[in-house]
Amino acid sequence: MKRILIGGLLLVVIGAGIYWYIATDTFSDTKDRKSAFTVDAVDFIREFQQNDSLANLKYREKIITVNGTVSDLESPDTATVNVKIADTASGNFVIFAFQDQHIEEAKNLKIGDKVSIKGSCSGGSLDGILEVVKIDFKRSALNK
Amino acid sequence: MKKTILFLSFVALTGSLFAQKKTTTSATVSFDASTAIDALPKAENKTVTAAVDTKTGSVAFEATVKNFTFSNPMIQDHFNGTNWLNSDAFPKFTFKGKIADLSKVNFTKDGSYTVLVTGDLTVKDVTKPVSTEATIVVTGGTLNTTAAFSIKLADYGITGVPIDAGKVAKEPKITVSAELK
Repeated sequence: MKRILIGGLLLVVIGAGIYWYIATDTFSDTKDRKSAFTVDAVDFIREFQQNDSLANLKYREKIITVNGTVSDLESPDTATVNVKIADTASGNFVIFAFQDQHIEEAKNLKIGDKVSIKGSCSGGSLDGILEVVKIDFKRSALNK
Repeated sequence: MKKTILFLSFVALTGSLFAQKKTTTSATVSFDASTAIDALPKAENKTVTAAVDTKTGSVAFEATVKNFTFSNPMIQDHFNGTNWLNSDAFPKFTFKGKIADLSKVNFTKDGSYTVLVTGDLTVKDVTKPVSTEATIVVTGGTLNTTAAFSIKLADYGITGVPIDAGKVAKEPKITVSAELK
């Protein structure tokens, strides 16, 4: 009986430990992650333009480093800034939302800056509102 | 020459101030399905495309499901998984609607306007009507808009043990905010 009680108690403690570990887990710093691909922004955008199904299979949910020129900076709110890099020939673009600890880096950028940005690619396709190809990134960081 | 430049500048300025279709690619959609026993199921997507047509009153937003950012990796995986949003197969949320009482808004006059927005929200290829109050703050031709409404997950075929167990709200709150230029 005593063994059963101790065994049961151990199971509860282990279960609580696993739950605590999972519940308090957070995403690691993107700056410390290894990129699956390093790409030129315009080439990258054109891959999605040519065949978004293939491009999504290749890049989606992977850490990608994108090199290009900042075409716009947009503030979704007073605390954050998104960085856009566009293919000026088509208007298609990639947009990066930054990881909390890297937002200040984005705030210091200016339109026309040459940048290297690493982030988690969420995929891309034709945007039904703007009718251009849009590729989303989350948890991004400047790749210095 | 000077007059021509001044005139063209004026045309460009007024054109951007009073353009009919106001858009952004950095609207925010928040998804909050947290409950008293689990604070984790909530996320934000800050790269949402949105548009308001000031002439027709049409309203739209489009959000990439995989760009919702959660604090917890496991919850984010569940959110995108086949039992939930199945974002591989259904990569976007879309809303298309109208400002029902467009005449209440003077887009050329700075001020705060409360309107009724009605339309259709499509999630996982299921389209349901949505009706919500929204606030539009007009400042120099820029529109700052906010709206909040709830959806029933079951309406979109999203069910499961975490919902039945009260760890995920049956009717999450969706908040949309956008600065449209």
